[in-house]
Amino acid sequence: MTATSVEALAAVNEVQRPPRRLAAPLWVAALLLLLTFLVIYPLLMLVFGALSDSNPIVDGFGAFKPSAKHFLEVLANPNVHLAFFNALAACGGGTILAVVIGLAFSWIVVRTNTPFKGFIAGASMIPLFVPPLVAGVAWGILGSPKTGLLNTALKWMNIDFRFDFYSMSGLIIVFGIYYAPYVYMFTASALKNMDPSLEEASEVAGASAFTTIFTITFPLIAPAILAGSLLSFVVMLGIYGVPAALGAPANINVLTTYIFKLTAWSPPLYNTAAAVAILLMAVTAILVWAQQRLLSGRSFATVAGKAFRPRSLNLGKWRWFTFGLALTYLFVVVVLPTLALIIAAFRKFLFIKDFDALFDMKQYSWVHFNSVFDNPLTMLSIWNTLKVGALTAVVGGALAFAIGYTVNRTNVAGRKSIDMLATLPIAIPGLVVGVAYLWAWIGLPGGLYGTLWILALAFVARFMPDTVKALSTSFMQIHKELEEAAWICGRGLLGTIRTIVLPLARPGVVASMTLLFVLAVRELGSSLFLYTSDTTVMAVLLLDYYEGGNVGKTAAFSLVQTLILAVLLGFTTWLSRDAAQGSARVG
Amino acid sequence: MSSALLIEDLVKRFAMGKPAVDGVSFDVPPGEIVVLLGPSGCGKTTTLRCVAGLEHPTGGRISIGGRIVSEPERGVLVSPRERDIGMVFQSYAVWPHMTVYQNVAYPLKYRRGSGGDIAAKVRDTLELVGLGDYAQRSVTSLSGGQMQRVALARSLVYRPQLLLLDEPLSNLDAKLRIRLRDELRRILKQTGMTGLYVTHDQSEAVVLGDRIGVMREGKLLQMAPPDEIYNRPADPFVANFTGASNVLLGKVLGRSGDKATIDLGAAGRIEAWTPHQLSAGDKARVALRAENVRLGESGPTNVFSGRVIERRYQGMQTVYDVEFGGQRLEALELGTAARHETDREIALTLPPDQCWAYRDEGQAAVD
Repeated sequence: MTATSVEALAAVNEVQRPPRRLAAPLWVAALLLLLTFLVIYPLLMLVFGALSDSNPIVDGFGAFKPSAKHFLEVLANPNVHLAFFNALAACGGGTILAVVIGLAFSWIVVRTNTPFKGFIAGASMIPLFVPPLVAGVAWGILGSPKTGLLNTALKWMNIDFRFDFYSMSGLIIVFGIYYAPYVYMFTASALKNMDPSLEEASEVAGASAFTTIFTITFPLIAPAILAGSLLSFVVMLGIYGVPAALGAPANINVLTTYIFKLTAWSPPLYNTAAAVAILLMAVTAILVWAQQRLLSGRSFATVAGKAFRPRSLNLGKWRWFTFGLALTYLFVVVVLPTLALIIAAFRKFLFIKDFDALFDMKQYSWVHFNSVFDNPLTMLSIWNTLKVGALTAVVGGALAFAIGYTVNRTNVAGRKSIDMLATLPIAIPGLVVGVAYLWAWIGLPGGLYGTLWILALAFVARFMPDTVKALSTSFMQIHKELEEAAWICGRGLLGTIRTIVLPLARPGVVASMTLLFVLAVRELGSSLFLYTSDTTVMAVLLLDYYEGGNVGKTAAFSLVQTLILAVLLGFTTWLSRDAAQGSARVG
Repeated sequence: MSSALLIEDLVKRFAMGKPAVDGVSFDVPPGEIVVLLGPSGCGKTTTLRCVAGLEHPTGGRISIGGRIVSEPERGVLVSPRERDIGMVFQSYAVWPHMTVYQNVAYPLKYRRGSGGDIAAKVRDTLELVGLGDYAQRSVTSLSGGQMQRVALARSLVYRPQLLLLDEPLSNLDAKLRIRLRDELRRILKQTGMTGLYVTHDQSEAVVLGDRIGVMREGKLLQMAPPDEIYNRPADPFVANFTGASNVLLGKVLGRSGDKATIDLGAAGRIEAWTPHQLSAGDKARVALRAENVRLGESGPTNVFSGRVIERRYQGMQTVYDVEFGGQRLEALELGTAARHETDREIALTLPPDQCWAYRDEGQAAVD
């Protein structure tokens, strides 16, 4: 194998004409330059912003006065402390709940004979695709202390208890139930890959099923549990929508909402926002680093190279209990919020006198939808969102393909740096990307600020790590010798990529581009700082409606957004299934 | 004395197709090691897992130490942890999040009624398997062979009535496998353990087993001591699987006692031992091992004249392709010197005791 690749390389080198020798360094330089422009420059500007007290709009860049004092003041500010600890509490509590739910789910799906497991596994992924702001809005409708639908229902039933989701515990619950799938993904695959004889050995040794779970199973997948919980913590930390919807009414600020508040001040405190954003990024970076270390460490669970028959526990009658648990979760996380949105969107007034009033059809109408679509901004935002999504998908997909190929398939000097720069954004929350791009472009006249491109480029940078990773996986599935065979046949590098690599990697490329599209459509955090009235997008407009206080319009537009996302997702699934069938021949 | 393990008419059927285990019966007296041998998919591992209680049989009865642990017809099914067995897995299944000591102490901690001095028992067992100095090591720092010793110690430490071993050596490299194989037998015999051992490796089976059971397609073909399996295979598959790869086709002329005379056509007649009730006129196949062909010798019976067609020198031994009267066979000569030339007439003797005749049921190659 090594011998053939050496020969193949030699063969290629002989064919290459002298100017080609410059091609590789030029290519690497171009990629590095592009990544610097996309990632490093905005981050540098963010650091500049945090370390100075000049306003880029008012003073221009010439007036940059570095001062660490300003940054230290921000760190000493009690409001920042409060937002920091609120964020830790909300995300910490949410993570604990997510671990409990995610672990229970993965055990039910992988290790028991609970009926309709496939359906449960598929449906439990839905929360991942719900935009956080939509989730927050729906739970606001359900659980607001006075008019919440849940509380109305409790009143009918003469139960004294009242929910209050406009609270820290509300934040924790919504975080926990919506981000449990992250924990589930890690633990389920660890459970699937675990050698079943590790558990059988414990049973034969005389331990009960219960003892086995707690002394063998869970400790063995502990790295996966930890990695999943770190990831869900990091994601929660960067979320704007949920705390904006549920925390704001109760005056609970977390880091993300606090940063946005700073820029919405008049005059906007961009420098302070940059400093807090750096704080948020530092926490995220540490956690992401810890998570990556965990994942790169030797995995406990896979010891032998034998193919396992998945081991499933016969629960007997109890399997209907576990099925019920799963259904309850799906009901709470999917059905209930959707129902709430539908009721709020179609009812003229959200006040519901009694149970019968719920079914009084005279109360329902399209009035909220009409008023949403009467607003010219609505169609503009939908149109803008689709345009930004398409730009992101095409630019981001092409760039990720170039980076993925260069990093995985060549041995040019500098590919390690390319890889590093392309993975860097994994540690930057979307909101921080937004602030950084704001700093990078707002002061430059005639620049990107105010165009859809700045949104698209911010999204490209933000989702680069995910896209490159997804594409790298599909590159790794194409055996290097397939390419070498084409070289031997006299094809050049570009010809080989076009005729061999691209067709074989097509399913992966299509999947990553559609994923990019979907991610761009639902992104809120980075858009918040980059939109202007001409370039508003759906997620931002929804926030506008919500802050405007009209529940009916907010719910109606949430439904519109959810519907568009669902259609896109359905299309994506259909595309990738089609692509997967096409790739079946590759093996 | 009651058997340590008694299996009666065991049947295990998975969702569809032929049963994985199809009416297997045998017993293992205390202190004996029985090896189940067969190609992959023959049902040997399923049988073992049924004994362990990790698979649930569809029919038949399994008793361990006189107690019925599985009888689906009567709804009896004892859980693995109540069966008083030990098991060594192919993948070792040592728990990577525990030290060597914790692995071995685990069953003592969680089994009912196995109190006593845990530390002393663990120490003694680790000494027994030669890991006395490794107690506080993390198991992930051990080599494959050492991990397998930990697994063995873990299943021996509580002195179960019956030890089950599922291809425990198959993940090790060849040299280590041979060393551990010999040591495994010493340890099992030293502790007086009753064992059921599953493997697809004949040499392991011969060294370890007091008796070997050869399985194929869910059926137990023969259960006998190793020398009987090798010298008196009851079935053409057993003969072939244990290495009798030469097959001569012919017709039965007659039979007296356990000897049959078979007409090989142009090659002449051959006398062979047979376990089957052959009668004149039956089609027969005669199996013999390449190393039992006496090349260049004229013995008292079964002497033929043939020609060496090809010679393959393999260093420690030489393989010859010999043709005689339209039949072909392989002969094996031990030693580093090859004595016979190709394309030369040569005498060969096929000792009647080492030629085994079976009814030819038209099966093609049995592997």
